[in-house]
Amino acid sequence: MTEDVIAARARALAGALVEAGFARLRVRDGETEIEVRRAVLVAPAATALSPAEPPARPAAERMADVVASDVVGIVRLARPLVVEGQEIEEDREVAFVETLGIRNPIRSRGTGRILAVFVTDGQPVEYGQPLFAIER
Amino acid sequence: MFKKVLIANRGEIALRINRACHELGIATVAIFSEADRMSLHVRHADEAFCVGPGPVARSYLNIPNIISAALISGCDAIHPGYGFLAENARFAEIAADHGLTFIGPTPAVINAMGDKATARRLMDEAGVPTTPGSGIVSSVDEARAVSEKIGYPVLLKATAGGGGKGMREVHAPADLATAYATAQAEAEASFKDGRLYVEKLMVNPRHIEVQVLADAHGGVVHLGERDCSVQKPSHQKLIEEAPAADLDPALRTRLHDIATSATRAVRYTNAGTLEFLVAGDDVYFMEMNTRIQVEHPVTELIYGVDLVKEQIRIAAGESLGFAQEDLHPHGHAIEVRVNAEDPDNNFAPAAGTLTTVVFPGGPGIRVDTHVYGGALVPPFYDSMLAKIIAVGRTRESAILRMERALGETRIEGVKTTVDFCRELLADPRFRAGGVGVGWLPSFLAQRAQPV
Repeated sequence: MTEDVIAARARALAGALVEAGFARLRVRDGETEIEVRRAVLVAPAATALSPAEPPARPAAERMADVVASDVVGIVRLARPLVVEGQEIEEDREVAFVETLGIRNPIRSRGTGRILAVFVTDGQPVEYGQPLFAIER
Repeated sequence: MFKKVLIANRGEIALRINRACHELGIATVAIFSEADRMSLHVRHADEAFCVGPGPVARSYLNIPNIISAALISGCDAIHPGYGFLAENARFAEIAADHGLTFIGPTPAVINAMGDKATARRLMDEAGVPTTPGSGIVSSVDEARAVSEKIGYPVLLKATAGGGGKGMREVHAPADLATAYATAQAEAEASFKDGRLYVEKLMVNPRHIEVQVLADAHGGVVHLGERDCSVQKPSHQKLIEEAPAADLDPALRTRLHDIATSATRAVRYTNAGTLEFLVAGDDVYFMEMNTRIQVEHPVTELIYGVDLVKEQIRIAAGESLGFAQEDLHPHGHAIEVRVNAEDPDNNFAPAAGTLTTVVFPGGPGIRVDTHVYGGALVPPFYDSMLAKIIAVGRTRESAILRMERALGETRIEGVKTTVDFCRELLADPRFRAGGVGVGWLPSFLAQRAQPV
């Protein structure tokens, strides 16, 4: 992958990161691995006007694989639906993306815990769109 | 009329099509590669879908993802632009199979005109003069026999060719075997089709092409000619103008007549261009391009016709809203291609970030572009950044206006053809009008000599 492609992927992942409230996301795709982290916000120095409050603790860092679509189509979630927090014991088909009548299976690629489901059943998805985040 | 059109392209032509659709009240869907996420055509469209990574084979040529994007967004037609899938009959067929109108001619015509040997045969049958040459030759020996018959110099050309690829000049019999092998290998690598044919090589002809429009109800008109003789040694066009300067009126009429009768003969529909080589009083058909062309704006500016809108109207089944006698050109238009390439280094393409981008404006200037300050020029695609088009009452006034416009243009971050084109415009031979395709290569050779 060239630098600008990596940059484009990273931008898409950053969006997913914010949406899911994660501190860190990591995606593996063949030889390339992209990791995005959220900057830890430093609370501004307290002034006389603001009530003294302890700064919010940054969310705990978690490592997650983002499973993205590699085709353009309509996503169909497998039944029973996977839900956030659910443990997946083995490699499992969690959804498929339908492109011109062809089912492109989306697999969990091993065990892990579902951290986030970014799509709803029947939603159009584009190439590279994050579908699930799985904690390993 | 269509409700929503998918634009299966990128760059300036994607924006051009987007504008035509919006003026017609049609919603648009853009496609883009990961390298083009920040591109202007993505922002201008009503919706956009990423269809793959940067390399074209996985994005802008990814037929399943493109058709799927059109279907899931509820499009009823696809405009292919130029390049990529514009002359891919299979793509047009697949689109039709999924209930999508392909904005262009029928797959059968695309196929016939795309195969150069077939196109020549059809044009021969229609009484259109073609360059002396052969059908497909199956061996070097056959190529040699044909070449002896028509006389050297000859041109070896790939039947699937385009953009100067798979094409070799042969000036003497001794060079034929090597040229045959390299042209075949190049054609095989570029088009997965190594078949070649032989054509008489004309010495320094002009490249003059005729724009046609044809509807599905038998209406056929031409919109005059364009002179595209200013070509790089790779045969890529750099400066185009309309009308052709210093062309005998009888010859001009003959070109227009040949173009319209050939268009009728092959039952062509939509916008198309017939390319000719002109040497003295001789006119030879080269090929027919079954798409909108890069240089279409010079025709639009002198005829006052929006060719992209006409393409969409024709594809939607409408009749041409005008007849030949309604069309009258006014003035002279000239187009300069601003490419991210280095004229001092064989026009090597450049990629990088554009740090400064200032385009010209003012009377008689049109700029078709997709770039802006801070935009990235990815390494995967065509190096064209912009087309600057100037129109004036006369050829000289259009050239003066273009010189003024190029003087206003500032593009920094990559090397471009802007200053080189100013040199070309200032050359007395160009100024006189009517240069042949050999002029730019000889200009380059002279320029390279030490003072």
